[in-house]
Amino acid sequence: MKKTLALILAALMTSGMLAACTEKTTDSDLEYVQNNGKMIVGITDYAPMDYIGEVGEWTGFDAEFAQMVCDELDVDCEFFVLADWGKKFLELDAKNIDVIWNGMTITEEVIKSTNCSDPYVVNAQVLVMKADVVGNYADTASLAELKVAVENGSAGQTAAIDAGIPEGNIIATQDQAAALMEVAAGASDACVIDITMANAMTGEGTSYADLAAGIALTSEEYGIGFRKGSDLTAKVNELMKTWKADGTLQALADKYGLTLAE
Amino acid sequence: MFVPVTLRLLEGFGQSLSIFFLTLLFAIPGGLIICFGSMSKFTPLRAFVRFVVWVIRGTPLMLQLLIIFFGPGLILPSLAEALPASVVEVMPAWLYNWMMDPPLLDRFAAAIVAFSLNYACYFSEIYRGGIEGVPYGQYEAGQVLGMTKMQVFFRVVLMQVVKRIIAPMGNEIITLIKDTSLARVISIYEIIWAGESFIKKGMIWPLFYTGAFYLIFSALLTWLFGRLEKKLSYYKI
Repeated sequence: MKKTLALILAALMTSGMLAACTEKTTDSDLEYVQNNGKMIVGITDYAPMDYIGEVGEWTGFDAEFAQMVCDELDVDCEFFVLADWGKKFLELDAKNIDVIWNGMTITEEVIKSTNCSDPYVVNAQVLVMKADVVGNYADTASLAELKVAVENGSAGQTAAIDAGIPEGNIIATQDQAAALMEVAAGASDACVIDITMANAMTGEGTSYADLAAGIALTSEEYGIGFRKGSDLTAKVNELMKTWKADGTLQALADKYGLTLAE
Repeated sequence: MFVPVTLRLLEGFGQSLSIFFLTLLFAIPGGLIICFGSMSKFTPLRAFVRFVVWVIRGTPLMLQLLIIFFGPGLILPSLAEALPASVVEVMPAWLYNWMMDPPLLDRFAAAIVAFSLNYACYFSEIYRGGIEGVPYGQYEAGQVLGMTKMQVFFRVVLMQVVKRIIAPMGNEIITLIKDTSLARVISIYEIIWAGESFIKKGMIWPLFYTGAFYLIFSALLTWLFGRLEKKLSYYKI
């Protein structure tokens, strides 16, 4: 009885080792994903990048972009919602996900922990003013005298403070739309909001036709994070270049109101 | 964390109280003027005042705040632009320029105007109810004693009106302290605003804690009105 048990255990262990061996046939992430037949994309629910659309499927700029890449690699695209954004690199290294693809700002930490793609989308905090005076404010030093509306607690508020605008001149509003209204009504001289929103809500053909976006106070770029040393990065960079050249990505960016990186 | 949050909320509540007291300062006498207008024997004036009261009581105070603060800057310039050229030629240049770049009320002043106007309208209806509830015999008695109309109103009627309106006024005034929270739509940093600011720092309890400030203040008001009512309950058997 004991012998049989030992035998069975030994057999199990060897088969386990063998299985481990067969799994590690390649160093190429691309081949690993293609052998699996699917790429697991790590996301969070975050419009307009990744969110559940009307038909109940993941949609958004990043979701569509990832789907396009998966189609190109001939693998299934599986979305995995990261329960904790703070643990995204751990999940990536543990191969629970194959890529972090969720409007991730390229920071030093990201560059250190992943093999990050070229920047694909930019986000910026821009100054919005009356179109006829916006040209007079070309640098942050010229802003000191302005009354600037910002959304309370937003990145725009931080950007305004960092740009050296005196705290007494910063008016905190309930949201970005209220900040825009302050400028339209002349109650504030300028507001600091996301470039995405500034593009969608100011200029010809919008309800704020006489407002225009001026200088950017801060800007950040989004990148796609693959595992360290992954060869998927080069593949995606190459695809990105092609799709940028033929306008596919621009069309996608227009659909979701985003600005592509240069 | 409790002490700094309390201090920050107290600062916000100070702003709420400023709105509260300034509104009462303007709305209590303002209501009386509106009340006289709505009881005037001169029909056009009465119709106009009643129309204004209808509009003010019939629309949300939040909307009135937005319109009084943002309205001139949003509406007047586009109105000036929409004017036909023939009108612009004959109108004075200063008027056109004024419309293109209208002076805006200060944020806080706009809030006080909106609150005072709104509450004056509500108060005027309470006053009207009080005045019309004084029996006609009281006027006749005054006349018999040789008083003028003015004397009858201020010496005989008004004190009886005050007695009658204490309860409904207390009601409105308690509503007012809670309504001050609406001022945050034009970025006045009152107590709810201060409470909400903590949410973005990951703390939700300060927002709920603001309720305690309102409760304590309205308890004070309730007690005050209770005493006032007792004091004015002479003649009651």
